[in-house]
Amino acid sequence: MMTTILLMACITFFTRYLFLHRALPFKVGPKMQQFLSFSAPAVLTAIWVPIVFINDGGINLNWQNPYLSAAIVAIIVAYKTHNIYLTTLAGMGLFLILN
Amino acid sequence: MQSIKKPVLKGFLDMLPLCLAVIPWGILCGSLAIQNGFTPFETQAMSLLVFAGSAQLVAIELIAGNTPLLTILFTTFIISSRHFLYGLAVRHKVIEQPMRWRLPISFVLTDELFAFSHHPRAYRTKTRLIYALSAGFSFYIAWNIWTLIGIVAGTMLPDLTNLGLDFAIAATFIALVIPGVKNLATLVTVIVAGICATLLKSTGFELWLVCSALLAMSAGYAVTRIVKNKDAKS
Repeated sequence: MMTTILLMACITFFTRYLFLHRALPFKVGPKMQQFLSFSAPAVLTAIWVPIVFINDGGINLNWQNPYLSAAIVAIIVAYKTHNIYLTTLAGMGLFLILN
Repeated sequence: MQSIKKPVLKGFLDMLPLCLAVIPWGILCGSLAIQNGFTPFETQAMSLLVFAGSAQLVAIELIAGNTPLLTILFTTFIISSRHFLYGLAVRHKVIEQPMRWRLPISFVLTDELFAFSHHPRAYRTKTRLIYALSAGFSFYIAWNIWTLIGIVAGTMLPDLTNLGLDFAIAATFIALVIPGVKNLATLVTVIVAGICATLLKSTGFELWLVCSALLAMSAGYAVTRIVKNKDAKS
């Protein structure tokens, strides 16, 4: 078991460290940099949207889906306030009331 | 001393909502492992060494199901492959720093820390490095405390992710993404990412996260090029 865990640790660390290794002989050009500038919104959104829409393995587009209404409120609060604490509180608050 | 205190505190406070949002996942990682026959030592070691929530949860299930080692490692690699994008995206900011900074930074380069890496000067000054390490390691410590609670509480606690507390992570990510949507290209990126991820994940496609991210980034990049060309012509 510990062998498996250690090998897993090597893999996750490898994926995180590889491109921060100086000996890798390449430079990220301006076009590539532009492409990569979209990575944060792309990955983070790809993580949170399925949490909202996939319940019990299937896609749930029902407006009574509490994840959906809470997400809409969170989006509005985030857009208006730019505040992570307010957004999380408003989203979670509404979600807990509805759920 | 004063100059260190401020970025440390700011890093901690910026990461705090995310540290709290992963409580259900951290506890689940601890309790699920114990329920599947991991010793407390192995369970904690996993959070201390692997430090990757989604990879850990999937691996626990696979290990419990007597999956061959190679399959487990390959799955870990697939789930972790999004980190290549993070490394590429921050490379030009971090690469000038000596090893003693790059090594710990890359160890804590999670989705959460990457979300705080977009500033043009991120990682470029000592203050910003300290800020990043503080944010990264406070998330590391929190993750391990929640795992420990999961180990100790184990079966006594209900599965918090089934109570819908997994929404907390969605709420914090919304808070991180939405304020950054300032132009058409980013808006398109976000919409494509959401649609692709939902569709691909619901079909059970294993590379859903990396594929939808790459598609979304391509869409955002394409919009930038089109807008630029139009501006150039007019």
